[in-house]
This record gives sequence, C-alpha cells and structure tokens, in this order.
Amino acid sequence: MTQLDNRATEVVAVAGRQPRKPPVRRGRNKGRMGLIMVAPAVLHIGLWTAIPVLATLALSFTDYDIFDLPAWIGIENYVEIFSDPVFRQATWNTLVYTFWTVPASMAIAMIIAVALNQNLKLRTWFRTAFFLPQVTATVAIAMVWLWIYNPQQGLLNAALSIVGIPGQAWLADPAWSLPAVILVGAWQGIGIKMLIYIAALQNVDESLYEAASVDGASTIRKFFAITVPMLKPATFFVLIISIIGAFQVFDQIYVLTDGGPANATTMMTYEVYRSAFQNFEMGMASAQSVVLFVLLLAMTLIGRRVTKGDDE
Amino acid sequence: MTANDLLTARDAAPDGPASGATAPPASPSTRARRKKWKGRLVLNIALSIGALTMILPFVWMVLTSLKSPAELAEFPPTFLPKVWEWSNYPEALRAAPFALYFRNSFIISASHTIITLVFASMAGYALARINFKGREFIFLGFVAMLMIPTYTKIVPQFLLVKFMPLFGGNDILGQGGFGWLNSWWALIIPGGLSATAIFLFRQFYLSLPRELEEAARLDGLGDFRIYAQIYTPLIKPALATVALLTFQESWNNFLWPLLVTTRDDLRVIQVGLAVFQQLDGTAWQYLMAGTTMATVPMVLLFLFCQKYFIQGFTNAGIK
Amino acid sequence: MSIRKARTRRLARGASFGLAAVMALGLVSCASDPGDAGVSSELSGEITMLTPIYEGSAGQQLLEEELLPQFYAQYPDITVSVDYTNFARLNEKLTTGVVSGLVPDVMMMGVGWVEAFAERGVLANLTDGGLSVQSLEDTMTPQIVDAGIWDDDVYGIPIMLDARFGVARMDLLREAGYNAPPQTWDELVEMAEALTVRGTDGSLKRTGFDMLTIEPRQMFETALFSAGGDLFTEDNTAPAFNSKAGVTALTQIVDLFHTSDVEDIGFSAPNATVNPLINGRAAMAIAHNNVWTQTELANPDILPDLEPFLIPGDDPSMFVGGTIATVSASSKRPAAAQALAEFLASPGPALAANQQRGNVPALTELLDSDYAQDNRLVQFAMENLEVAKREGGPGKWLGLRGEVAPAIQEAILQNKTPKVALNDLAEVFQKKLDR
Repeated sequence: MTQLDNRATEVVAVAGRQPRKPPVRRGRNKGRMGLIMVAPAVLHIGLWTAIPVLATLALSFTDYDIFDLPAWIGIENYVEIFSDPVFRQATWNTLVYTFWTVPASMAIAMIIAVALNQNLKLRTWFRTAFFLPQVTATVAIAMVWLWIYNPQQGLLNAALSIVGIPGQAWLADPAWSLPAVILVGAWQGIGIKMLIYIAALQNVDESLYEAASVDGASTIRKFFAITVPMLKPATFFVLIISIIGAFQVFDQIYVLTDGGPANATTMMTYEVYRSAFQNFEMGMASAQSVVLFVLLLAMTLIGRRVTKGDDE
Repeated sequence: MTANDLLTARDAAPDGPASGATAPPASPSTRARRKKWKGRLVLNIALSIGALTMILPFVWMVLTSLKSPAELAEFPPTFLPKVWEWSNYPEALRAAPFALYFRNSFIISASHTIITLVFASMAGYALARINFKGREFIFLGFVAMLMIPTYTKIVPQFLLVKFMPLFGGNDILGQGGFGWLNSWWALIIPGGLSATAIFLFRQFYLSLPRELEEAARLDGLGDFRIYAQIYTPLIKPALATVALLTFQESWNNFLWPLLVTTRDDLRVIQVGLAVFQQLDGTAWQYLMAGTTMATVPMVLLFLFCQKYFIQGFTNAGIK
Repeated sequence: MSIRKARTRRLARGASFGLAAVMALGLVSCASDPGDAGVSSELSGEITMLTPIYEGSAGQQLLEEELLPQFYAQYPDITVSVDYTNFARLNEKLTTGVVSGLVPDVMMMGVGWVEAFAERGVLANLTDGGLSVQSLEDTMTPQIVDAGIWDDDVYGIPIMLDARFGVARMDLLREAGYNAPPQTWDELVEMAEALTVRGTDGSLKRTGFDMLTIEPRQMFETALFSAGGDLFTEDNTAPAFNSKAGVTALTQIVDLFHTSDVEDIGFSAPNATVNPLINGRAAMAIAHNNVWTQTELANPDILPDLEPFLIPGDDPSMFVGGTIATVSASSKRPAAAQALAEFLASPGPALAANQQRGNVPALTELLDSDYAQDNRLVQFAMENLEVAKREGGPGKWLGLRGEVAPAIQEAILQNKTPKVALNDLAEVFQKKLDR
C-alpha cells in the first residue's frame, strides 16, 4: 500500500473520533457541560453517519463501479443527472408525494391525537389501532395494499362497485399509480405523528382549556388558540421529520410498483437504489443522493420558515 | 399565554379553575351535558371508522395467514377462511429458526433502545437547554445527517465496520481481518443512535418551561443533575415514544443485518421472513403468518408503553 | 446566522470535504487490494459460499445434512461455511463483498451476471482450473453452457434453470373447441380472442392470453426470441432488439392488448397473489415453469390440463434464466472452491436443488429422472433446451436491464409506438455500451 493509503486509513480510524466542536467559552462552566453531554452523540453520528455522508459527497465527483477504483470525473455525474428525464420524473414525483402526504397526515394526526386525548373509554384501543400501520413492517403493509388495490380481487374496487363507481387499475394505470402510492404513504404516516402529538399534548395544561371554556370559547376556537400554539415544538419536529421521511420513501415503491408503470412512480431514493445496486454506478448514486440532499435541505429550511422557525 | 402565566395561574388556584364555584343554572347545564354526550358519540363513531381503516390491513394479513394455498388462489377471493389453517403458524415457525431470530432481534432492539434513551436524551437536553458554542451548528448538522438516503450510506458504513481496527483480526490500520463483521458489535453499535431521537428529545425539552431550570439552579443543582433529576422525569411520554420508535425501527430493520452477518445464528427476524419470498413465488400464507408473529411483540410493547403517555404536566421541581 | 458562524461553517465544510475525498479514496483503495496472503492450490481449508438457493430450513437441511456430507466424504480437509441470502438482495451482498474485498469463495449468481463479473475480473477462470467448455458441453446443451462462458473460457457452471414459455389450460381450450395449443401467431390471436370472456359490463372475467404475470422484460424477451430476434448483435457491442423481429414481437403484444382486447392493463402483475392460470382467470399465458409447483399446492386437479407450448413465431424459442455457480478470482483456496462448485453442479446435488425449488435442471441426463418425468413443465423445458435463449451478453448487461421494463410498459400503455419505444431504448443502451 502506498503512503497515501496508509495515511488515509489512519485518518479513517482516527478521524471519526474527533468531535467537531468549537472551543469552549472561557469561564462558562455551563457551556462545557453542554459539550460533554452532546459529545457521545456527536462522536457516534460523526463516525457512522457523517463520514459516510462525506464519502458520498466525494464519490459523487467520481465514476465508481465498485470493481475498479473511483476515477475522478468532476461534475459529469451532475450534468448527466440534469439531462436525465427519468431522474427529473423521479424528482417531480418525490415533490408531489411530499406535498400531498405531509400536510394531510399531519393534520389528520393532530386531530386524532386531540380526539384521543379525551377521556374515552376505548382510548387505548383506538391508539393501538391507529399506530398499528407504523408498527408493521412496511413490506407487509405494502403487500396488504397490493391486495386492496387489485383491480379484480381487491377491496377498493369491490367497495366502489357497491356505490356504483367503476374501479380502476390503481397500480397499473400511470394516471392513478402515484395517487395510489400517496394514499398508502399518508395512511401509514399517521401513526407516528399521532404518537408524537399525543405525547406532546400531555404537557399542555388542562386548566388552559378550562379557563377558555369559562370565557365561552368553542371547541374549535380552543383548538386553534391553545392546542395548536402549544404544539409548536412538536409540529416543527413532525414537519421536518415528515418531509425527510417523505423524501426517502422506498419500501412502498419497491413492493407496490417497482417505480412503474413506465417510471410513473419512481422516486429519488429509488433511482439512487437503481444506480447503486442495479447499475453498479456508485458515483452516480452518490451524485443523485447529493441532489436529493440539497433539495431536502431547501424544503426543510422552507418548512422552518413556515413554522416561523419558532421552535423555541 | 406564556408558561409564566400558566404557573402563576396554577399557584393562584391550586384547586383548579373557577368553574366549580360559579355553577351555571340547571337547564343549560343539562343541555350542555347532552350536547357533550352526543358529541362524544359522534367522536367515538368517527374514530371507530378511522380505526377500522387502520386495522383492516392487519386483519387481512391475519386472515391470509390462516388460509390454504388453494383458498388463496380462489376467485372471487374469500374474506374469512373456509378452513382455518392454524397449522400454518407452526409450519412457518419450522421453516426457519425463528426462535433464534426473535431472540437476536430482541437483543439488538433492546440495546438500541437503551443506548438511544441515554445518549440521545442527554444530547437533546444539551441542545435545548444549554447555551454552548456551536449548538446551532451541531443541531443542524444532526438534522442534515438524516437527509441522505440509506442506500447511499450503507456501503461506506459497511466499509467502516469491516475495517474497524483491532477487531476481528484487523491490525491497527484495520487491515487483514473482518473487523466487526459477523459480530454483535456491527449489529448494535452503528444503529445505536439516531438523529431523529435527538431531535425529538430536543423538542420535548424545549416545551418545558424555563422556570423549572431557574428554580433548580437556585437550589444549587448543576446542568447534569437538572437534566437527570428535573427535566427528564417530566418527559416520560417522550421517553416512551422514543423507546417505542427506536425499538420498532430496529425490529423491522432488514438490510443492515443482512449485509453485516453471514452466519445464521446472528440472523434477525426480517431477514428470516425473507425466506418466504423466493424469486419464483411467494408463500403468502407463511409470510403473513411470520409477519403477524413479528408484529405481535410490537403491539404488546405499544400497549405496555401506553401508561407512560398518560401523564399530566407535573411541576415536581417547583416547591 | 452570524458571519463568524458562516465562516466557521465554510471552513469546516472545506476541511471535511478534503478529508472525505482522502478517506473515500483511501477506504476504497484499501478495500480493492486483493492482498497477497498465501493462495493455496490444495484441496483443504475453509471456504465460504454465498447462495440465494437452498433457502429456509428445508433448503438448509438439504444442503448441510445431505449434500455437504457427501462433499466432505470426497474432500475431508475442506470445510464450508454458508451464507444464505435471497435473490432480491444478492446484488447488495455481492456489492459490499466486492467493495470490501471480502468476496465469498463460491458464489451463486443469475444468468446474465457472469459476464458482468467476469469482465471485471471478479470471477476465477475455471478453465484454468481444469474445466473445459467441451467437457461441459458433454453434459449440457451448448446454449446453457454459454451462460457461464466469457471470452471463450468457463467462468460459471449452470446448476438450475428457470424457463418462460406458453402454457395453456387444455380444459378451457377444449370447452371452446380447441384441441391443441396454437402453432402460429395468427392461431394464437384467434384462440386468445375466442377464449377471452367479458362480463355484460365489459369487465374482464377471463383473459385468453395472459402476458402480465411475468416480469415485463422477460415477457418481451420471450416474444422477441420467438420472433427470431436477439437482444444484442453477435459481438455484443450493439443492441439488436429494435430489429424488425423485435418491433414485430412488441407490436403483436400491444395489438393483443388493444386491438384484440385480450387482456386489460392491471388484470395481473408480477406481484399478484396467484397466477390467473391456476384459478381459471386465464386460458393461456406466457408463464414460468414453476406454475406447476404452484398448481400442485393450490389446485392439483388441473395439473393434467396444463399444456406447455413454445410461443409461435418465425423461430419458436423459449426464454431461459437460471443460477450459476462461480468461484471468486481472489479466493485463497481456488482449487477447493472450484471443487465445491463442480460438486454442486453434479447430477445428485443439482437434482436435489432443482427438486426443492421446482426448477429445471441444467444437466441433460436429468431429463430421465423421476422428478423431470413427473413435472410436465420441467420436462418440456428440458426437451426444448436447444431452442432456449437467454438474456445477457455484454458485461454491462446488469446496468442495462433495468431500462427495459419501463420501455415495454410505455409501448403497452400506448404512450409510444413499439418502434419508437424500442428505438429509444436502443439509444439508451448504445450510449451506455459506448461509455
């Protein structure tokens, strides 16, 4: 091995162990404890996530097919991405998917969480029911929806035929396949959001509502004037995590549609997977991931502005 | 309405709001109560419908697991099994050493949960409550780390595990051996912490009032003790949520365990279930039986964590 | 964000970037280093095997309790440790293996994979290890042996095959007055139209010829081969599926959908719960040979009625895929590894493996086995191996095959005409081949 290789490996072994912390403010004991408390997390994530992420960034400028060493090709991958109609379709699909699943499931989850915060007898069972999709492996969920969407044997068309609406070939028709996938995504995403909101609602003081009732506020008014503002930190979290999650949708696509029909439901992560593990083009996969990352970062910052960055 | 007002109001009226003192006249109250009862009924019905749509796929999964291949092929498809093939479950269990896989998944998930509860809550607290230099940067860094897809990170992560120095026959430079491959290290450590958990803890710590901290500081408590003894006990719902989510994510993880182990005795549940999905045909009844069995522990865990969700805002830290 | 923070961030980013570049290159270069520890040509030591077959307890039992003991009897000094995976994730396993330098000694991979890995030097040349093309052709048909050949040398030994061809439900055909599967394409169209049953509301009750349960790429390839076409030119440097034969094949398929109204989009899919042949929702289909084993489980009464036939055309053929045993080029015990590969491909073990999965044995002599004689579809496949064609060809095939399904779907959905769809696909192929 060359000297460079030796050095590089040394760096690999040691680099992850160096926390990326700026120097502590003098005389402020407070700051130091903060750094200490955050250090294990920084070390762990620095090693296991940050290094792979940086490696991805570096590899995105190479042509790397795993059999030979990476060859530097500059921004060629990116140029190719921008002229690839399939990736453009994937990007658009990802944005559409995010746009529809995130607000819908967030709103539904918040309402259900508030509803389940009441003292209903069946509360525990309701919560379990709503959380069930989250707890079952996505692959299993997707298979169940395959049955629901089946044009001949499926539940959806059977139900629609009772009402007299003609059934569609939900997953095979390019016009309906993306909405079908969106529905599954929104449906599955409700559980975890509901859970977060329920947990957050525990911290909202009952007396606030009671005081508002005395003032004659209606349920709706109480919801918007008390609940929603008190849930701001939770909403911020749910929004960001949902956007990130929506951008990274993969299992549903893999099982339900394989990106089809004719790339109608392909997503950015799916294209990354194809590049990496079907085409053996790691450099391209890395570049696509970087594009995904940049887009996601932009969406997150927008999301932060939408919640007025008021997460404190 | 700031937290300050809230605390002041509580301290002022420790027995609760004034509604009890000024009871409205009988007739509107009865009407209000009936309205409430009707509202409750509507709510229950709406929730039931919603819950039904959530449960339906799970019900289908269980019913499929109890059918024979002949019945699964029928058209039009039946809903309830004609013959309840309970034998599918023991047969599925025989198809692979699932007891072993269950144990492995449990060990890994429990370890991930413990690691996360401890270190993520610490980090979350620090990011929320302690003002140190670089705090914003670290927080945004954590969130940014979530934005790269799994498939991109998996190969570098694999390499890190393989080239781990001084393990599995590797020398100090990580050469020559297997590193952490085929070991519990590889299964437990890399996935031990997630930025999502840190993020969640941060938000929960933020939602608690500052006054608690100030009061505690007056008592002479340092940052760590404030974290451990004051704030953390107050966010039991968050702890339960993170525990649940971490455990469940680990439990359902498939790709990473598949890649870092080659030995059957380190297999996990999801990898085991894949045996029912061969390229040329899926044994649906066994796959659904296996998935049902894999889901049941998660449901039980959820039910167990329920009691931690029901917790009002306590101000145990304020005298 | 303060200026100081922004500057710190930029510095940090720059430093991290440089660090990452160094690390990525370092990681990878160390990984690809084959190492120079002793390579033994002895028939001893521990070897590792990666396999997507022999899965589950049944498969593991078969391999470890029946087959491997036989192997150990012959080669007492070798021990084998097995890594079981499934086909869907084989790519990921092989990728991480190759990138980290931990390639298993023996690997089972699919047809079309050998050229990709052989071209990149990942596979050991088995001819150098004593296995010649001629010796293989003594026991298997040349078309099948070809699947393991690269650059005129043997790099892989076929163990099991899976085939796609026409299958008809003779009971349904006889009801409609037909006594035999179609011999020409026109007959096929006529029969398919006659056998298609629709309800009064126009909904499809039974399709005369199902084309959707098979993966689109393989469905097209089956039709392409029977029309006399090929995927690539002889020298594998250019695509050939957009030839007249290819366009004809795809047009015929599209016409069955839209002109003859034989099948509706979405009527079936590769991930369907049950093959429509089994429950009578299809009278004929392009099917996988394992329809037999599925029917055995689900509807054994109709087994005698399943009749295989070659898809008619100018050059009736059948599509064939399969599993091939290969040896890693960086194996420290190549002789032992090759011995294991050859053992698994030998008659006894190969038959057992095929039987376990209901697939088609590659060895010609196994046609006489009870297994093949009892399984009409496997028997048919074995009898027609001379007209079997496979996918693959150039080393870049694995990176190209993912593009085919969307193109076929575009044609079936009538977004593009068959000719345009195939030409566009050929353009994509050519661009990648030329890189």
